Amino acid sequence: MSKQKNASNFQPAGHSHKKASYYVGKVLINIVLWVFSLSCIFPLFWMGYSSLKLKRQFNADVISIPWKTATLQNYTDILGNPDYHLGESMWNSARTTVISIVLIVLFSFIIGYILARVRFKLNRPLYAMFLMGMLIPIHSLLVPIYVVFKNLGISNQWYTLLMPYISFGLPMGIFLVEGYVKSIPVSLEEAAAIDGSSFSRSLWSIIMPLCRPILVTVAIIQIFSCWNEFSFALVLIQNVHLQTVPLALTQFKGQFGSDYPLQMTAMLITMSPIVVLYFCFSNQIIKGMVAGAVKG
Amino acid sequence: MLDALKPKKSTIILYLFIPVAMFVFTVFVPLVTAFYFSFFEWKSGQTIYTAFYTGIDNYKTLISDSIFWKSFGNNIYLVVACIIGQIGLAFVLVMFANSKLTIGKAVHRTFGFFPSTISAVCIGLIWSIIFHSKYGLLNWFVVNVLGGAKQAWLGDSAHVMLYVSIPLIWQFIGYYMVILFSAIAGIDQQIFESAEIDGANGFQTAVHITMPMIMPTLLVCLTLCIAGNMKAFDSIWTMTAGGPGYSSYVMALYGYTVSFSQSNMGYGSAISVGIFVLSLAVIGGSRKLIGLLTRGLGE
Repeated sequence: MSKQKNASNFQPAGHSHKKASYYVGKVLINIVLWVFSLSCIFPLFWMGYSSLKLKRQFNADVISIPWKTATLQNYTDILGNPDYHLGESMWNSARTTVISIVLIVLFSFIIGYILARVRFKLNRPLYAMFLMGMLIPIHSLLVPIYVVFKNLGISNQWYTLLMPYISFGLPMGIFLVEGYVKSIPVSLEEAAAIDGSSFSRSLWSIIMPLCRPILVTVAIIQIFSCWNEFSFALVLIQNVHLQTVPLALTQFKGQFGSDYPLQMTAMLITMSPIVVLYFCFSNQIIKGMVAGAVKG
Repeated sequence: MLDALKPKKSTIILYLFIPVAMFVFTVFVPLVTAFYFSFFEWKSGQTIYTAFYTGIDNYKTLISDSIFWKSFGNNIYLVVACIIGQIGLAFVLVMFANSKLTIGKAVHRTFGFFPSTISAVCIGLIWSIIFHSKYGLLNWFVVNVLGGAKQAWLGDSAHVMLYVSIPLIWQFIGYYMVILFSAIAGIDQQIFESAEIDGANGFQTAVHITMPMIMPTLLVCLTLCIAGNMKAFDSIWTMTAGGPGYSSYVMALYGYTVSFSQSNMGYGSAISVGIFVLSLAVIGGSRKLIGLLTRGLGE
């Protein structure tokens, strides 16, 4: 930072023309960037203060801030009315997300480690199979998964979504772990083995702590994709009491199509866990998601 | 070799069995069944046991199905729009953000990345309010700031694809910015310094130094962008549901409509297989093409 400051202060004296264009450039660049950044955050603000308006106030003026007329009516309406089942959907999403993440991290760790370290005949075929899992477009699986799950009686259950979420989360997790384990020297496990540690013991008490950073990355990527997932939920869940958040939100569009402040309130409530999480840990989250994208 | 480094077969099987079985069950079994179902005429009221075997009839229909090909075209439109909009704009913005003149880089990073963590359904809902023909924010802006007339943005079948691609582009610019930014941070600063001493301006540096040096990362972005837009579904489903008419259908949306809204599972399965083949062809083909082009550049 200090280096940059020095560099920007380094302006040859006497070049007033150059100096002027320097400031124009500085202002322009910053304006462009701030317009972009604020546009990214603006919907959150807009929804925030619009949720304090009533439908007719919003329809009369979509942009004004309700300084004097602010009301919590929308919040009490939504949280007090069980027909909206918003709390229920958040609970469903939270449960599905948490279980999926724990199992994705666990399975990715085990499979990633075994594929990186243990030599056996099926090692490369398994690796290739998981690689293919990343390429398969999920929308080509919606119909058959619906049919298979329905015929086996496992659609419309609290655990229904776990299977697709875990299966589609696994490939990237496995690759991240596999790559990471390969960067750890084997001598560590050799030393542990000489000291009499079994395979499983080395796996859990030596390798797992070492892999913590990559496991956190895997978890971060999956939190967002599980909480936000829509297609599988749409196809596999018909019972309103099992709806996840994105699904519950689309109901808002259909049933209460024109009450936008109400819809915005619902979105804000259901977004809140993700938003809080994001703004508390934005650095780790950004790093994790980008690492996953680039390496995967 | 020590025992602990070469565990027993049973240990490996014990560890791998459940996840591998689940993965095969949810990914490969459906893939095979989709292929199988696609040879049947299977409409609402029928089960797979009462469906008629019709051979490749579904595929014949698919090949001449203009809506399917229009949907495919719309996917390609999204891919192109997002490559230009997301990666192109992200590159330009990163060049700006990377200059010494920028104030508040950390804030740009946090704010810019934020939309990519929000669900596509939310993005779709927010933007359908923004685009709303009566109460929309965009119309408010057009009327009160630009002094124009209200427009039915998402009801305009000629331009609806452009309008639905805007939220998609906007959502992920920050995401690509962060990826590109970390790639640029990996370049040796001395290269930029010597370029500056040699009198290169910002544009020249961006095109002749930065771009070639982060080419591998740009290609990763390109692949991500193509794969991401071939599976566009959620936000378009919430914004237009494919309308007006069929003008904003994408493949996944068409497959969903045929299979579930029209309960035509047999043909829906054929569409699913079509989505599978076309997505892989586009992703694979673009990789080959990129490979050829970059080899040409290297020589």
